[in-house]
Amino acid sequence: VEPVLSKGNNCLDAAKACNLNDTCKRFRSAYITPCTSSTSNEICNKRKCHKALRLFFDKVPPKHSYGMLFCSCRDVACTERRRQTIVPVCSYEDREKPNCLTLQESCKKNYICRSRLADFFTNCQPESRSVSSCLKENYADCLLAYSGLIGTVMTPNYIDSNSLSVAPWCDCSNSGNDIDECLKFLNFFQDNTCLKNAIQAFGNGTDVNVWQPILPVQTTTATTTTASRLKTPGSETTNNEIPNHNDSPACANLQVRE
Amino acid sequence: KGRRNQKSKNRGCVLTEIHLNVTDLDLGYETKEELIFRYCSGSCDAAETTYDKILRNLTKKKKLVTDKVRPACCRPTAFDDDLSFLDDNLVYHILKKHSAKRCGCV
Repeated sequence: VEPVLSKGNNCLDAAKACNLNDTCKRFRSAYITPCTSSTSNEICNKRKCHKALRLFFDKVPPKHSYGMLFCSCRDVACTERRRQTIVPVCSYEDREKPNCLTLQESCKKNYICRSRLADFFTNCQPESRSVSSCLKENYADCLLAYSGLIGTVMTPNYIDSNSLSVAPWCDCSNSGNDIDECLKFLNFFQDNTCLKNAIQAFGNGTDVNVWQPILPVQTTTATTTTASRLKTPGSETTNNEIPNHNDSPACANLQVRE
Repeated sequence: KGRRNQKSKNRGCVLTEIHLNVTDLDLGYETKEELIFRYCSGSCDAAETTYDKILRNLTKKKKLVTDKVRPACCRPTAFDDDLSFLDDNLVYHILKKHSAKRCGCV
């Protein structure tokens, strides 16, 4: 078989690459299984699906996990595949769409969700005057924070097949007096130039320089727990890939299993 | 990563791998995804035990005419991790016990 890497579908190419890598293949199947197994009265066990999704993004090197989640697309076959990455019918969609502020409240009750949402708001904060459109000028941290939300109640996904707009499974109906606050929250997902640029930059394999601060914008925002999940890219960032920080834990796991 | 693919031929039962399209497996799936298929091949002559010798001798002497007995066979003793893929209709599938992880003469 000649490994034909067609130009058309980067998401398909990323899926192929994943299945040729033992770690990615293993953790991919490990979430596809619970996310597609229906139980007696439910479409799946959402809790197990979320847990396995978190494990996938924690253990699989970003080259592979982001490759499938942030692949760049030119046609619907590609964007649909990209939308299916997290198995949205189980991990994302629900019978009812809650109000986003209600969803935020339930997120705050959970330690993982609360800290990852805080990371997301910190690291994907848009800033129109900066080169990258990000206040933090660090795409890698924004992508890490965004992907960190997958597997929490705040799990985001692409909302349509023609754009990079994303949102958690919620809307702002029945917001009452809090409508402005709700829309602000929702638009941080849906209409976030920092996040869109970060996804685009990964998909195109461009803009490596923006991952490192060029002209840091003055900021008083406190550093968050993102640092413990991914060290800020250092000198090893010479190619277009996000540093492969997860190799050692993944290998350690493999050895234990053997 | 751990196991290197032994290249030497006629070295007994070993794990070998081949890069395939999922459609090459002819299991009826329509997808463009690919996989590494690992299989067991090679002879099990070296692994012959007294048991195998006795069976061979008894067969030769036609003392075991009714029963079909087979010599040791190079087969998977463990299977690779599951493989999942998305088909052309955006349905996920999972293959289990489809690819070898370790081989042995059994």
